[in-house]
Amino acid sequence: MADLDTTVTPNVTSVRKEHLGSVDEAGQPARIRQHAEFRNGNEAAALAARDIGFHLMGYFPITPSTEVAEALSEMQAEGEHDIAMVPGDGEHGAAGICYGAALGGGRVLNVTSSQGLLYALEQLPVQAGTRTPMVLNVATRTVSGPLDIRCDHSDLYFVLNTGWIILLARDPQAVYDLNFAAVRIGEHKDVQLPVLVAYDGFFTSHQKRRLEVFDDPDAVRRFLGTRDTPITALDPTRPVTFGPYMNDPDLINNKMQLTEAMAAARQVIPEVLAELAVLTGRTYPLVDAYRMDDADVAVVLLNSAAETAKEVADRLRADGQKVGVVSLNALRPFPGEELRALFRNVRAVLVGDRGDSYGAGNGNLGLEIRAALQQDPENRTLVLNRIYGLGGRDFYDADAEQFFTEVLEAAKRGAVETPFAYHGAYAGDPEKKPLPGLPPIATEEVSRGMAQVTRDEASGRLKVELAPLWAMTAVPCRVAPGHGGCPGCGVFPVLHQAYSVLEGDLVVLFQTGCAMVVTTGYPHTAHRITYIHNLFQNGAATLSGLVEMYLERMRRGELPGSSDITFMMVTGDGGMDIGMGPALGAANRNHRMIILEYDNQGYMNTGAQLSYATPMGHRTATSEVGEARAGKAFHHKDTPQIFAACHLPYVFTASEGYPEDFMRKIAKAQWYAKREGLVYGKVLSFCPLNWRTTDDAAEEVLQAALDSCFFPLYEVEKGHTTLTYDPEAVGRRRPVADWLGQMGKTRHLLTPDNAERLKAIEDEVERRWQRLKIMHAHEGL
Amino acid sequence: MASLPDNDRFFELRFESIGGLGAHAAGQILATAAVLRMGLNGAHFSSYGSEKKGSAIKSFIRLGPADQPIRTSAPVESPDVVVVFHRALLGHPATIAGFRANGTLIFTGPPGEIPDGLAQLPRTANVIRIDAQRIAAEEESRPNAVLLGTLAEAVPFLDAEILLDALNEAFARKRPEAVARNQAAFHRGTTEFERLPDIGRAEGDLPIIRPDPFWGYQTAPLGGVVLNAGSTAWNDLSTSRTGWLPVLDLDKCIHCGMCDMVCPDLCLVWTAEGNEPVPAAVRLTGVDYRYCKGCLRCIETCPTGAMTREAETPGLAERLGQPLFPQLDG
Ligand SMILES: Cc1ncc(C[n+]2csc(CCOP(=O)(O)OP(=O)(O)O)c2C)c(N)n1
Ligand code: SF4
Ligand SMILES: [Mg+2]
Repeated sequence: MADLDTTVTPNVTSVRKEHLGSVDEAGQPARIRQHAEFRNGNEAAALAARDIGFHLMGYFPITPSTEVAEALSEMQAEGEHDIAMVPGDGEHGAAGICYGAALGGGRVLNVTSSQGLLYALEQLPVQAGTRTPMVLNVATRTVSGPLDIRCDHSDLYFVLNTGWIILLARDPQAVYDLNFAAVRIGEHKDVQLPVLVAYDGFFTSHQKRRLEVFDDPDAVRRFLGTRDTPITALDPTRPVTFGPYMNDPDLINNKMQLTEAMAAARQVIPEVLAELAVLTGRTYPLVDAYRMDDADVAVVLLNSAAETAKEVADRLRADGQKVGVVSLNALRPFPGEELRALFRNVRAVLVGDRGDSYGAGNGNLGLEIRAALQQDPENRTLVLNRIYGLGGRDFYDADAEQFFTEVLEAAKRGAVETPFAYHGAYAGDPEKKPLPGLPPIATEEVSRGMAQVTRDEASGRLKVELAPLWAMTAVPCRVAPGHGGCPGCGVFPVLHQAYSVLEGDLVVLFQTGCAMVVTTGYPHTAHRITYIHNLFQNGAATLSGLVEMYLERMRRGELPGSSDITFMMVTGDGGMDIGMGPALGAANRNHRMIILEYDNQGYMNTGAQLSYATPMGHRTATSEVGEARAGKAFHHKDTPQIFAACHLPYVFTASEGYPEDFMRKIAKAQWYAKREGLVYGKVLSFCPLNWRTTDDAAEEVLQAALDSCFFPLYEVEKGHTTLTYDPEAVGRRRPVADWLGQMGKTRHLLTPDNAERLKAIEDEVERRWQRLKIMHAHEGL
Repeated sequence: MASLPDNDRFFELRFESIGGLGAHAAGQILATAAVLRMGLNGAHFSSYGSEKKGSAIKSFIRLGPADQPIRTSAPVESPDVVVVFHRALLGHPATIAGFRANGTLIFTGPPGEIPDGLAQLPRTANVIRIDAQRIAAEEESRPNAVLLGTLAEAVPFLDAEILLDALNEAFARKRPEAVARNQAAFHRGTTEFERLPDIGRAEGDLPIIRPDPFWGYQTAPLGGVVLNAGSTAWNDLSTSRTGWLPVLDLDKCIHCGMCDMVCPDLCLVWTAEGNEPVPAAVRLTGVDYRYCKGCLRCIETCPTGAMTREAETPGLAERLGQPLFPQLDG
């Protein structure tokens, strides 16, 4: 343990990134050749990954970090790297993929943000505790709920106790540089810990700046060496047990080792960064101290906001005010000694936290700096803590000025008036009255019998008689216009068609995705009925809880007003990747609810990455097309068959391009969900933006998907499979190429180069179609 | 090496657009060219939400001398140049907020038209009009190529040749077929603009606007719940249309309801006779263009050709539109 009174040589410098001048040792120019590009933080992380040449990347898309995987996918398609890219089914899966890969002894990368980091969190201490290095880039973003995609550090703060090393990158150049350092630091024999590199979502991840990129792969390789791990899970000559069952008295010792590794990292990080500085000419001390030499006061901020504050510090210095800005390049291990030394003669500091530790009376950084200073008996520095910039609130010069004003005032008075406060929250104007919503929809208005459902006593199955389409226009739609969906978006026809026949009171839960985002931009909502959002890894569980509460409160007679509520979850196809577990859980428990999946064949809300429902060969942002790759590598997930295997009362597929068929099915779905249990339905839903068609191409494209038998329309009712549209029977069967040729995302599949891939798609479509036909024909299936 | 008008501060540009018109790409091309080929330092970024195609987007460029570090990451609030990609945006005060007294405004619009909002500009503003939409359509390019051409002429330190090279390069690999068309659009952008004198009426720099949110912590319902169900009906999405709208011909309409089943914007207006519970008859009376984003799916679906595509001329939507919720107009 470091003695507090030993003099530390503070690893701090006044100006970061001063060029060191060409070092010339043994006649060799040590500075690596570099060239300038114009790149944002995500691209910087992707370029670093390319240059590092990780063995494997496991990932799941989430704004604002998704672009890293996208850029790498694009480079991969052009043959610019050969990192194995494994798309997880969610971040928990991605973290598992990475952990397994890292146990295999190679170099591993992951990238995430916000909810994704939280969903992976559980894996993080496992990986640190079993001492398995890898690199995780985090473009920081606030955590739900309510859902907000913009930056703060509330996600990062959850990682503080996981045993990961945390490096902080204030701009795209730092993102690039620190990724190289991260590999070396984590793999160092005295450390052997995973390393997280955090940079601000949007402010850094999406802002392009001049970026120096290495030109000389050999020099990079020399710097990185290879991962030299004495034990791996891939050496049969040396059997190893990873992750034994370890109780007391042993576990505390494992954690002591981890703590010692962190202590070692305090030495290793500066060493590695010094070595890197020789190559790059850019330095990253543990503590970035700007104009602190004779500073009376300082503002302490993490990442991009610190850079803004430096602009203001320059101005105040020009006015003769002795102010400085402090930021950290490493958050774990925490550079407490450096901060103690740095602040010894500083009268007051204001610590800004972009994230609160609710109820602690300080943000995490505030707490840690107070704790660090408290260990120095000589220290008299006054500390103010401010929570700022939550949820992406911009940090302007004026905000930094305000911070300096407050900290200068405290220094002048020798006392802190307000130790802790929120900066930038808005009280509101009591005079403002919200715009009224639309009038509530009376139960009778949506109970008009637009679909008459009867049970056929002989077969035990349901029959549906639909009112004519024109009559349905009299049913008020439960979703209002004015939403933010793209022109032509299929989500709304899906909802409108379903709502036209669903009877009576309805409560919906939408999982995260386009439909949720474009209908509920605060402070407005398009929903005219009760609507809940929960994270798309957990919506089905959430709705099942509500269903059971409804039934229980009905049983207790507590809900006299609610006669008869139908519960429906609306999810994208992506939600059936990450949320598959809870959805199957709900299905196996057979709750009285509908799961309606609109399948637009990708993660559209985050900018069209592949989902497991994306068919093989389709171009998405993470399955790019180029010289070396031709779209998604594996076939589309057959979600209806997975649910059919849960032996639900009713499973169906439908298309928004064939409303009558869909409406008959959703009417049956309601009948079953109210009486027998869970119903799952998948509806093909047009997405012109990401399918790369014109906005009005829905009819043709959707029809071709049906006619080519890519998307068979069928239902599984009480275990019996029935095709509800057989293109062969009506002479409309067309080759799959007819469908693929209509979309920009698939047109490449028709070139001679891709003949083999096209054949593979055709074969798979045919195999699944034949299987369905057999099931359709068979009495028992 | 390009020399900026004022080396003591950044030169800042703001592009005001809607998603899909290419403002982000244009900003990126311009800033990349400035930083990598004109010897400047710079930053580029756009305003992000979860916006889809058709919603408002801003793109920001900050330029400084090569040796001047760029540290702030805040949005551009006092622009030297504002480029308006869609003329409907000129109606919003935020579009020209913070505009500098001697700044340059480039907007896209047909010859002869001077949108109302322009009088709010400073008296000393340089105002430039270019019919980017039409030129782009004629050249089968996009408005952003035209506007980059205009920018290259309007901003003295930008080198048109370098900018055009950068534009070509951006497309050369992925869409080589677009290069010649973009080039033609760019060239027309450099010549076919008009400078409009004496437009602004305001004195000095325009004030910066940082609007407060509707709710605050003392007023917002707890937990972020939204209690005014269906309140998106107050939104006006007219700016999402890119030149076309569907028009109903009542003589041809058989009121079959097919269009209603596929309309993503839920903006078709129906009346019902004998509304209990299944109506005796219904009539489609028209479109509420406040919500129509112009996807034209209704036209594709209509079995009788009663819905047709028309070019959106100023005032057309107001003339033909039917209110879906008359109470909102009261
Ligand atoms: C745990 C977690 N991971 C990732 C995300 C980012 N994310 C939000 S929506 C979405 C894609 C949703 O895809 P899908 O369910 O198909 O709906 P779509 O957007 O296509 O409508 C993703 C990846 C998130 N919000 N939370
Ligand atoms: S991206 Fe696709 S699914 Fe999402 S709103 Fe746009 S059209 Fe709809
Ligand atoms: Mg999807």
